Amino acid sequence: MKIKKGFVLREVGGETVVVPVGELSKTFHGMINLNETGAFLWRFYTVDHTIEEGVEALCGEYEVEKETAAADVEKFAAILTNNGFIE
Amino acid sequence: METVEKLKIEDVLREKGVYVGPTVGVSMLPMLKSRRDTVVIRPKTERLKRLDVALYRRGEAYVLHRVLAREEGGYLIRGDNCYSDEHIPEDDVFGVLTEFFRKGKHILCTDKKYLKYAEKRIKTYKTRRFFVIFKGKIKGAIRKIVRIFIRKKKSVR
Repeated sequence: MKIKKGFVLREVGGETVVVPVGELSKTFHGMINLNETGAFLWRFYTVDHTIEEGVEALCGEYEVEKETAAADVEKFAAILTNNGFIE
Repeated sequence: METVEKLKIEDVLREKGVYVGPTVGVSMLPMLKSRRDTVVIRPKTERLKRLDVALYRRGEAYVLHRVLAREEGGYLIRGDNCYSDEHIPEDDVFGVLTEFFRKGKHILCTDKKYLKYAEKRIKTYKTRRFFVIFKGKIKGAIRKIVRIFIRKKKSVR
């Protein structure tokens, strides 16, 4: 799983927001608000990784149970897929 | 992460208190390049002042242009790369640029260097306008000469 090119991550007022740039901004008009884990996963999936690798990375970064991390990554992946953010 | 909601910028400002997005168009060049730079807009909470960059609507389009002066009931506004002024009523302005990302560099609109740029952009307007008109006239004259030259060449044949 890899996030499409054309998005940039911006830190604004302590919040992380993703916005489109270039060609992608012609078709996607919006901003994506991310929480801390969302921002971590977004950065992680700008490079091609599997769901399992995402779970491991999340467990390595935060003190979280594997089941909780897996549920979070799956939810994140579903949002990315449903909104067409995946390559 | 939240799902994508389809909202107008006004709604985003009202609900989230900030809008972050790409810029489209050439009217704020050289400061903001279309689809490259990102703007951070916050709701207007008080009357804007000179040098502020106001967000308002022109029909369906959103416009982000600089305030040159306050007027009674509104503002005198112009884009940094525009050569005509607009009189925008106070109520039409609903947002203000507070920060932006230019070539990825984060710039606050309170930054001294930025404010110096904004002031300079307004002060050099007449000179820039003169050169734009001058450039246009030169181009026109060249076109005329070329046309005469082609006509003469055809008549010789």
